[in-house]
Amino acid sequence: MHRHKNGALALSALVVVALAIVGASTASPSQSERQFKGFINIGISTTLSGSIATLGQGGLQGIQLAAADLNRQGGLLGKEIKVVSADDNATPATGAANVRSMILDKKISALFGPVSSAVAAAELQLTAQYKVPTFLHTSNDITLMTQRWTPYAFQVVPNTIMEPRAVAEYLAKKVGNRKLNIGTFSPDYVFGRNSVANFLLALKDLGVNHAVVGQQWPALGAPNIAPQLSALISSDPEVTFNIQFGGDLVNFTNQAAGYGFFKNTRMIGMYSLDPLKALGDAAPSGAIAFSRAPFWGYKKNAAMTAFVARYKKAYNAYPSEWAIMAYSAVQTWAAAVKKVKSLNGDKLVKAIEGSTTPTIRGPLKIRACDHQAEVPEFVGTIAKQRDKTVGHKLWNPEVFIASPAKTMLTCAESLARR
Amino acid sequence: MAALTHDERLVPSAGTPRPRLKSFGVAALAVVIVGGLALAGAFLPLSTALDVRNAIGLALFAVATNLLLGYGGLVSFGQAALYGIGAYTVMLGWQHWGWSFWTGFVVAPLVGAAAAAAIGVIALRTRQLYFALLTLAFTQLAFTLAHQQFEFTGGDNGVFGEVLPAWLADERQGYMFTLGVAAISCFLLWRVVTSPFGLTLRAIRENRDRMEALGVNVYLHQLVAFVISGFFCAVAGVLFVVHTQSAYPQLLEWTKSGEPILMAVIGGMFSFLGPVVGAFVYTLGQQELVQQTESWKLVLGVILLAIVLLRPDGLAGLVSARPWRRLRRSETEPGA
Amino acid sequence: MDTVVIEVSGTLSAASSLFLASAGLTLIFGAMRVINLAHGSFYMFGAFLTTSLVGFATGARFWWAVPVAALAVALIGAGVELGVIRHIYGKEHLTQLLATYALFLIFADLALRIWGAESRAVPVPKSFFGSIEIAGEQIPKYNLVIVGTAIAVGVGLWLLLKLTTLGWRIRAAVDDPESLEASGVNLQLLFTVVFALGALLAGLGGAVISPQIAVTPGIDGSIIVGAFIVTVVGGLGSILGAAVAALLIGASETAGTLAAPDWASTFPYIAMIAILAVRPWGLFGQPER
Repeated sequence: MHRHKNGALALSALVVVALAIVGASTASPSQSERQFKGFINIGISTTLSGSIATLGQGGLQGIQLAAADLNRQGGLLGKEIKVVSADDNATPATGAANVRSMILDKKISALFGPVSSAVAAAELQLTAQYKVPTFLHTSNDITLMTQRWTPYAFQVVPNTIMEPRAVAEYLAKKVGNRKLNIGTFSPDYVFGRNSVANFLLALKDLGVNHAVVGQQWPALGAPNIAPQLSALISSDPEVTFNIQFGGDLVNFTNQAAGYGFFKNTRMIGMYSLDPLKALGDAAPSGAIAFSRAPFWGYKKNAAMTAFVARYKKAYNAYPSEWAIMAYSAVQTWAAAVKKVKSLNGDKLVKAIEGSTTPTIRGPLKIRACDHQAEVPEFVGTIAKQRDKTVGHKLWNPEVFIASPAKTMLTCAESLARR
Repeated sequence: MAALTHDERLVPSAGTPRPRLKSFGVAALAVVIVGGLALAGAFLPLSTALDVRNAIGLALFAVATNLLLGYGGLVSFGQAALYGIGAYTVMLGWQHWGWSFWTGFVVAPLVGAAAAAAIGVIALRTRQLYFALLTLAFTQLAFTLAHQQFEFTGGDNGVFGEVLPAWLADERQGYMFTLGVAAISCFLLWRVVTSPFGLTLRAIRENRDRMEALGVNVYLHQLVAFVISGFFCAVAGVLFVVHTQSAYPQLLEWTKSGEPILMAVIGGMFSFLGPVVGAFVYTLGQQELVQQTESWKLVLGVILLAIVLLRPDGLAGLVSARPWRRLRRSETEPGA
Repeated sequence: MDTVVIEVSGTLSAASSLFLASAGLTLIFGAMRVINLAHGSFYMFGAFLTTSLVGFATGARFWWAVPVAALAVALIGAGVELGVIRHIYGKEHLTQLLATYALFLIFADLALRIWGAESRAVPVPKSFFGSIEIAGEQIPKYNLVIVGTAIAVGVGLWLLLKLTTLGWRIRAAVDDPESLEASGVNLQLLFTVVFALGALLAGLGGAVISPQIAVTPGIDGSIIVGAFIVTVVGGLGSILGAAVAALLIGASETAGTLAAPDWASTFPYIAMIAILAVRPWGLFGQPER
């Protein structure tokens, strides 16, 4: 009995701590008092815990900042924008349940997408059914806009064809006619599988003389990749196309460095803000880096500069591409709402199709035929020195901005895949 | 399982056939539950009704798992593989071979049972924690294969599609179908646990050595239980398809195997309906929690810890002071 | 093509990581018959604490950060034992699995709140930065630290169990707790110490591995399955078993990446199923009554 008392004490202490933390994390910054005629809910159900949480958290912050910026300018249709968010635990069923409740109970007017393409697919079933405009700003599987086409979804991120094609184009320019031995390293994940396949296909289309010497597929989020890594190194590739992201890429870079890997092979990886920040000086200078929307890739863009400053002020950090793409997604939606002066899903879809919206990423055009945004992919090389403002390495100044006109499927090709 | 050697527990009195009065009571309870859920499905607001529909499917998953857990004393982390196989069979059959939903509906439980037989043949050679962790390996193997064979399975993107006939795709009608299938399955499982086979299974749980000495083929009994459980786990997987029209690898992950176990423990694994209660509490509660706070894991963890430390009988222990409870207490508190 | 060196080095470093992740788990089970699902959380705490202690780009602090992180995790472990584990001794494995699963959830959330979602990295300490050349192949110097730590932990545990009073008591606690208590040993204190030691090993593992990985929330879950495989294949409670199993699993994965890269990640599971089908109690385990 004595024992139970102790347990109860320990538990009540835990409950108190739990409540305190929950209270702290859910307390939102109080909105400045302003005259709004009601509010508009927008939803984001994304991955906020676990190993890919950094992508979801970045997106959520972008959306929250976008809502705050809109509210500062008087909201939309005179109403205040409120962000409803939930963790999907990277599980489609959880994401779908969240979205259903957001649609039916919270009456959200727009949904901003998750990290995982599978979760996105589950959510698109629902937003199509309830006619809620949905903006995919992180998950980028090509099938979401083709086989799983729904008229209410828009993709503002370079998809799994555009991204690898952009990298292949860059590589083709650099190597000329020399024959290349290529290795690939990818999470055992459809996103990775498709990206690798499309990268190799693009090299062939571009006439790059190459041979694939080794391909490895470690599990997503696996901390221990020594076996796959040593197999890759044994196959002795001159160029390695690595499509891991976030923590996995950091993991790979740290382990590969010890093998002298970056001296012997030209590494191509998704070295965007998060991995560069985590790696610090260990980021491999000279490696080819690609990113979907690095803020340093937008030169002479005052809107982006102002956004980076606002973001820095709000979160005391620089915005990742996940935050940037999420923010531009809200801008696209908000512009359409202003234009049609309505939240009606069908009217908004009509307005967005073929529209071009000024965003922090520049003019953002959404193609009418498949709702894919005509956005570039950025490719560059990692700098030697730390960037003075951010405090860690970024890229060298010359950045290749792959034109979407070259990387996108044509409308006919896209429609043929439905 | 600790201290299972006391002789008085050899014959579980609670499970022996009772006078007619009791079976009448059971029938009445069943009618009330199913009737209540049917009314709920007809009149609740749609979003709540759909959450309940999800919980009904998972309740069947939990009851089927509890055939092993509560009745067989076997902690299996392999049930998600069978649940996922149920869902995948319907979706992949539809995608690759153009099966109708009904073909999948009939084939999936059979595939689940066959897979359970294959897993059980190997896993039941081990015992206790080895069994739990070996079944976990099977689940992870299935999970990894679903990722890896992505050209067949769609990998982590899973399989999505309009597999249901139009009337079943209607939310309320799909609800009634789910309720019907789950109710019939639970009835069949009830018949299993109250049959002589079910009694033997419990007796094995209580004293394996004694039953072996009596000439009972323990391995075979447990294997049959494993196959029956696998059959109904796959049925629950089919109900997941009715709910979502999809299948994807997370259904096969070991944490998914933990869910029905959690449900059984929350509701009480020593009563037939405990897992049902647990499934509703867990599913609806977690759903609410996820939407309320980003720190849902923290809150869920604290609640679970409270249940394990303070109420090891689960919620059903609060309402049913049946002999099982006494039995359970003597079992869990030796020298406490 | 003399890549054998690289394969062997990869296998050894994989095996060492697995062993470091599972040594504490099997120690705790061996002495206390408690299976700890929150073991991965201790590992994660070890890694996160190291990132905090080292800060960014100051490699020299690494060598004192590792023991401090490990000791801090040992303290957390002692707290967990006193607060939770103590109440579930002798209960069914299921109760223990659930209680420690609850802890796993709680710790995952706490780590996310404390350290955030971003991945963190610890710079490799200067003295072990870069590579050494063996038979013409470059091998990461830091692999030496990982393999060395694994060997030190293995040998240290073996000596502790065989030669010290504490070790004798731990072994006695497994076989005959009643008479051990009758002989005046404070069993509860012993269990607290063992649990803290197990947590320390997990924290040490996380701390030592941290320069080689990205430290993110979620590493708790991603190492726990591997640790369980090793522990079970080796035989629950057997340190030697864990070491042999770690080598076997590491080798099976390397063989997989060479023979059939597409199938490589299934190899550890297939190896585990095959071994347990033949030896239901693991390689060095003993049948549970």
